[in-house]
Parts: sequence; C-alpha cells; structure tokens
Amino acid sequence: MLPTPKLDFLPVLPELILAGAGIVTLLYEALAPRASRATHLGLSLVGLAAAAGASIALWDRTGDPTVLAGAIQADRLAVVARVIIISVAAVGLLLGTHYYDRSGDERRGEFYPLVLFATTGMTLIVAAADLIVVFLALEILSLSLYVLTGMSRRGQATEASMKYFLLGAFASAFFLYGVAMAYGATGTTKIAGIAHALAGQTGGQALALVALGFLAIGFGFKVSAVPFHMWTPDVYQGAPTPVTAFMAAATKVAAFGALIRVLDVSFQPLAWDWMPVIWALAAASVVVGSVLAIAQSDVKRMLAYSSIAHAGFVLTGLTAANQDGIRAALFYLIAYAMMTLGSFGVVMLVSVRGEERTSLASYSGLGRRQPLLAGLMALFMLSLAGIPPTAGFIAKVGVFGAAIRAGHWQLALVGVVSSVAAAFFYLRVVVLMYMQEPQGEEQEEDRSPLPRLALAVPAILTLVLGVFPQMLLGVLDKASVLRW
Amino acid sequence: MLRDYLPVVLLAALAVAFAVASMTASRLLGPNRPDPVKLSAYECGNEPIRLPKGEKFGVKFYVVAMLFIIFDIETIFLFPWAVTFRTLGLFGLVEMAIFIGLVFVAYVYVWKKGGLDWAEGQGPASVREARAAAEADLGEAARAR
Amino acid sequence: MRTPIAYFLVTSGLLFAIGTVGVLIRKNALLIFMSIELQLNAVNLSLIAFSRMHGSLNGQVLAFFSMVVAAAEVVVGLAIIVSVYRRTGSVSVDDVRELRG
Repeated sequence: MLPTPKLDFLPVLPELILAGAGIVTLLYEALAPRASRATHLGLSLVGLAAAAGASIALWDRTGDPTVLAGAIQADRLAVVARVIIISVAAVGLLLGTHYYDRSGDERRGEFYPLVLFATTGMTLIVAAADLIVVFLALEILSLSLYVLTGMSRRGQATEASMKYFLLGAFASAFFLYGVAMAYGATGTTKIAGIAHALAGQTGGQALALVALGFLAIGFGFKVSAVPFHMWTPDVYQGAPTPVTAFMAAATKVAAFGALIRVLDVSFQPLAWDWMPVIWALAAASVVVGSVLAIAQSDVKRMLAYSSIAHAGFVLTGLTAANQDGIRAALFYLIAYAMMTLGSFGVVMLVSVRGEERTSLASYSGLGRRQPLLAGLMALFMLSLAGIPPTAGFIAKVGVFGAAIRAGHWQLALVGVVSSVAAAFFYLRVVVLMYMQEPQGEEQEEDRSPLPRLALAVPAILTLVLGVFPQMLLGVLDKASVLRW
Repeated sequence: MLRDYLPVVLLAALAVAFAVASMTASRLLGPNRPDPVKLSAYECGNEPIRLPKGEKFGVKFYVVAMLFIIFDIETIFLFPWAVTFRTLGLFGLVEMAIFIGLVFVAYVYVWKKGGLDWAEGQGPASVREARAAAEADLGEAARAR
Repeated sequence: MRTPIAYFLVTSGLLFAIGTVGVLIRKNALLIFMSIELQLNAVNLSLIAFSRMHGSLNGQVLAFFSMVVAAAEVVVGLAIIVSVYRRTGSVSVDDVRELRG
C-alpha cells in the first residue's frame, strides 16, 4: 500500500463549497422544470456566504503552511483574496439577475453555475501552492469566463467571446510552457520548491529565466498588462455588463494573487532579474492605459483602458519585491475591485435594458435625471482618478510609496504623471453628469432598488477605506506575510 | 548543467526567426501579379455558389461529437488508477467514485438539456430531412410526367 | 542506445514556435485554434521529456491534466466559433469587426 496522503480538507473547504454550490445550481437548472432566477440567486448566495465563512475561519489557522501534499497554501493572503473575490461574485450575481430580468433575454439559468465555477477557479488560484494547481485553476476560471462573455443575444458578445477565447488560450499555452520550463529547471512544480532549488544553485539559470518570461506572458494576459492588453477593450465592451463587472474586478484580484506568489516566493532568488521586467510592464500599462482611455467615447471601453492602467499601478507596487509592496498591491486590488465593480454596476443601470446606452453622451445631465446614480458614479470616478478622500487615493499613495522606498522613484514619477492625465477622463464623466443638460427626449429610466442596494457595498467600502484606511491596513499587515 | 539548455533556447529563437523571416521574404521578394484567371478555381474546381449559411449547419453531429470527446478524455484519469488500484486501496476507490460522480453530474445536465436528443422523431434529423427532400423531388417528377 | 533528452526538447521548442507563428499569421479562427493546440501538445512533449530527465512523475501528471484541459478548451472554443459562424457566416478574424480595435 502506498501511504495515504494526510488529508486536511479544511483549507480547501471554501473551494469545495463553491464547487458544490455550482453543481447544485447546475442540477437545479437541468432537473427543475421551471427553474426561477430567484431560487438560483438564493442558492448561489447561500453558497457564497458559506464559502466566505469557511475562508474567514482559516484566518487563525496554525500548522503546516501547505496541505494536501503541498498543493494548497493555507495562509492569510489566500484568506483576504478569497473574501474579496467572493464579495465581488455576490454583487456580480445580484447585478446579473437584474440584468437578465430587464434585458428580456432567454432564461440564461447557466449564468449562476458558471459564475460559481469561475469563482471557484479564482479562489483556488490564490490558494494554490503548486504550479499544476495554478494552471488548473486558471483554466477553470478562464473557460467559465469565455462562456459568460458570450451569454447574450447580441453579436458583439459572441465576437467578444471568440476574441477572449483565442487570446486567452494562446496565453494559457505560454503559461503552461513556462510551468514546463520551471519544472525542467528545478525538477519540481511546487511554488516553494522552485524557490529552494533556485536558491541552492549558482549560475546557469538560463532555463529558469526563460520559464519566468513565459509565466510573465501568461499572467500579463490575465491581468491585461501592456503589451498583452489587446483583448481587454473588446471583451469588456462586448460582454454583458454584469459579467464585465465581475470579471474586471475578480479576475484581476485572482491573477495578481497568484502572480504575487510566483514572483515573491518561487522566483524570489531571481528578484533582481524580474524586477526590470515588471518595472517595464508597469510603466507601459500605466502610460498606455491612461493615454488611450482619453480617446474613448464608449464608457465601457474607457473603463477597460482604465483597468489596464490600474493593472500597471498594482505592478508598480510589486516592483518593490518585499512585504511592503505586497501590502500596497493588496490594498490597491481591494480598492480597484470595489470601484470597478461599482462603476460597471452604474453603467448597467444607466443603459436600462441590455446595452442601449453606453456612450459617454448618455451621461450628460444624469445628475438631474438620476441624482443617486450620478452620485455613485461620481464617487467611483473620483476614486478611480485617485482623489481624496476615496480608497483610490490611499491605494495610489501606497503603491507609489512602496516603489519609492524600494528605489524605483522614476516609476512612481511615471505613475503620478499618468494619474494626472487620467484624472482628465474620469472628471470628464463627472462634468458631463452635473454640468450639462440632458440630451434627447425623456427616456425610460431604471429605478429598481435591489441593484442599488448591491452597489451600496462597493460605494461604502470606497468611502470608508478612503477615510479610515487603518482598519484594513492592520489586516493586510498580517496577510502580506507569505509563509512557505 | 543548466547551461546545456541554452542551445535549446537559442534554437527555439532561431526557429521563430527563420519561420518569420522566410514568410516575410516570400511575401516581399516573390512576384505578386494576380489576375482573375490565376485567382479562379483551378481546372475541375467550381466556384461555390453559396455557403451553407446557418440553415443546413449540422449542429447535431457537432454536439454529439464534442460530448463524446469530453467524456472520452475524462477516462484518461481512469487508466493510471486502473494500473495501481491495488496499491491505492480504498482511498483510491473513494477518490475515483467522487470523480465519476462529478462526470455523472455533467452527464445528467447534458441529458436533461437535450444535448443527446436527435430531434423529435426517429433517427438523425439530417437523414429524415434528406429522405423528405428526396420524396418531394420524386413527387414533383411524377406530377411533371 | 537512448535518444538524448535534448532532442525531444528541441522538437518541442520547434513545435511551439510553429504554433506561435501560426497563431500570429493565420486569419481563420479554426486555424488559429489548431495552432494553439499544437502549442499545447509541444508543451506536453517537453513535460514528458523533463519528467524522464528528472526521473520524477510530476511532469507526466501535469501532461495528463493538460490533455484534459486541452479537450475542454476544444469543446468550449469550437462552440464559440460555431456560434460566431452561425451568426456571421464566416470564421475569419478579419470579418468579425463589430467591436472596434
């Protein structure tokens, strides 16, 4: 008999619950003759709540840093990232239910299991301690997102889905080749094992560097860093808005969570080699994202370019390659997830049914027509621009500070200059909403309370984190210690 | 010993460079003087009158083929287990039961969603369509006579 | 006589390069997709070769997973490409231009 591996399923309990909830909703959709959205939503939210509870319970866990034969990491970074992803998924599900109710689309009951499976992949990737698990989790989340992107009758959604799929699969191939090379260079696929192998060797690490390059390409696509960002505007614009909200916010958290582990654990011994690469990616993303966003006339495309710029800011924090940088990046990710989720949520409510009104022009005079929505949008725009007293401001200060303390003041300078340029197009939306007359005749407005309630969560967090950042920073101090 | 792999990397880079270079070279250097005759289908080839736009796309076959592939590939995990199931013992058996259970869930979903149905009637839809079309043709021919 | 591992790695690198170039120059979504599959299979070859070189099973396990993932990608990808075709009557990435960019 082979020794049975010691089984400690607690650290993967959140994933098991999420996958279980996904299976339950899938079977409900298949077996119930008249599956209703309300039941779907209820089942999914119960699953998400249970998963969130299970991950918070892991906060005070002591014992082995990895479980299940070194496949799963049980540390606080995973707990924090999971809770963000699960909250984003919950708001995404609420928005999606409303969206499909209004758009008069077919039933689309598969929306719920697919979001739950994507969430499973995202939480698994931040807890993965083995590159095999990272790859599998990456595929679970990507395959679900490809299908979610196409979940609409509009031709644009199908087209976006195809583009996302082709480029995503291309990136996966690079990522897998990177894993293969890391395995070839070190003889292991364990994230910590690679670090031990690399630290023990002197010189001749060509293969490990190539592996790092390929992994960086794979991650670059997933976090949409320049020059791997080409798919982002098309996909964010074409996908149904609640799906865009969910994937823009949660995928970035998940991919960065895994990237932090790969860079700051596996390839920590080669930190001086990867730092310039991440430096260049960060600078390019910040500049290109901010500049191209100015030229956009569609608000979803504008937010897509803005998300590219924000990926650059998170990378700025990571160039520090220390706990300081990880903490700043985590704070930035939380702030980013909240404000992106919120602004896409407002976009969904403004376009009433489906994707009717996503041009910037439809925002003129919104302050008079829908004061509450306009207020929310203004808050998110100020936060995205990094203006106090919002979470976006504290987050930017954090990543620039981390970069400067690590000696990358030039990068921080690039970031600050780009932020100033970027403030232009965020503030343009605010100006349109409050200082222009409504255009065109009176149109139908969406005044449903439920999605507004859902948007209160990111709005409150954006404000609270901007005014009392200490509440979260204490938690992140503990979460940014990587145990391995 | 990692130095030994530098040639591999170099060769890979060379391969990409060569592939790109030769394609560019043929595009740049080769004469490119198209005329209608050159571009037409050669000899016995025919210009397609129309492409099957949607209406005759045999999606049924495609769905079944895809389902076959996905379930077929899943069995890949049964082989390593089958080879070592005595050494893995009860643990392996339980793991495999869970795995098959998950595949079964997918199967139930596909089944209930109608992924395995061949249209409403008997036999493949395309066969029945073809038969109906042939009968209509025969009827027309009889009437013409 | 054993074939040196390096031969497999070179072959794998070449296949991956061919796949990469294929993705970059092809216009037909199906051909792009086939090139991606070629890349994935190239990776499988190098995984098996590395597995042999290190005398550990990890690489082979990963190759198993990557085969299943590739199959899942085929199913999802072809479904998407078929739905694009049914809508537009073409699978050329140049004809699909409803979205700018």
